[in-house]
Amino acid sequence: MMQSEQAGKSDTEVTWEDQQNINKFERLNNRFHELEDEIKIAKEAIDNLEDAGNELILTDEEVVRFQIGEVFAHVPKDEVETRIEEMKEMNAKTLEKLEEEKEAVLAQMAELKKILYGKFKDSINLEED
Amino acid sequence: MASTSAETTSSSSLAASTATPPERRGIPGAQFVEDVQTFLNQLGLDVNPALAFLQERLQQYRLVEMKLLAQQRDLQAKIPDIEKCLDVVATLQAKKVAGEALIADFEVSEGIYSRACVENSDSVCLWLGANVMLEYSCEEATALLQKNLENAKASLEVLIADLQFLRDQVTITQVTVARVYNWDVHQRRIRQAVAAASKDS
Repeated sequence: MMQSEQAGKSDTEVTWEDQQNINKFERLNNRFHELEDEIKIAKEAIDNLEDAGNELILTDEEVVRFQIGEVFAHVPKDEVETRIEEMKEMNAKTLEKLEEEKEAVLAQMAELKKILYGKFKDSINLEED
Repeated sequence: MASTSAETTSSSSLAASTATPPERRGIPGAQFVEDVQTFLNQLGLDVNPALAFLQERLQQYRLVEMKLLAQQRDLQAKIPDIEKCLDVVATLQAKKVAGEALIADFEVSEGIYSRACVENSDSVCLWLGANVMLEYSCEEATALLQKNLENAKASLEVLIADLQFLRDQVTITQVTVARVYNWDVHQRRIRQAVAAASKDS
């Protein structure tokens, strides 16, 4: 149209589709960082549960103080063991889902990078600073 | 400042700036610019005032973003709290069914704990905020907490969508700033080339 002079370094036109791709990339990038944080939290929770489970094996008390809400309820050791196992399983499932989503997001970002770098080459920077 | 609704020329060959997207819950939509010259004419501004206007828009967006992020953090803290409450009520109900009393250590003051023995009770008191606490049966309490949890989750979803919309507008505005700036550099180069050419000839 009006800007595509060949002389000198003309800036490529940005179409609405390009803009939408850029927006989508930005959203994915944000989601990627959120996922990394969530994955870190899930991993920490699993570690804590592991530690708790190990402590449980070491202790010889029959009644353990197990945190429910804001208080520490007296719960028999077996029940605590079961609860910890359940929580570990839940967290493991959550972690798996998060990792899967992370992979999907990264794949989509790679696709968009190909498209955007293909059109804009040096005029666009999609790397983490 | 909402831009005037551009002519919706459906299949026009002239590159016209697309109509401004509707604002969303108070967040102004960023106009996507098809052609920089048309955009500047439409704004009636020169390059530098236009850039200033766009920068100001970005500042406004940043302010709203901070506000929304704060709200999001609050909600994200509130949801686990409600889930903890549901946990406690469920535990009390389980104890009632088992016919046992609940013995728990609770914090009296920071670092100081005491033991409580909670006898079977059919009711719990819920803190509703504003210095108000109401007594509910366990079932009612569970229902109320459940509803609060769902509301909180729904609000969070809306908030996240708002943030996404906002970030899109910020990205569009940033791209527009870059394009206006590049266009200006390009124009200057052309003018210089023309001036140099006419001087030589």
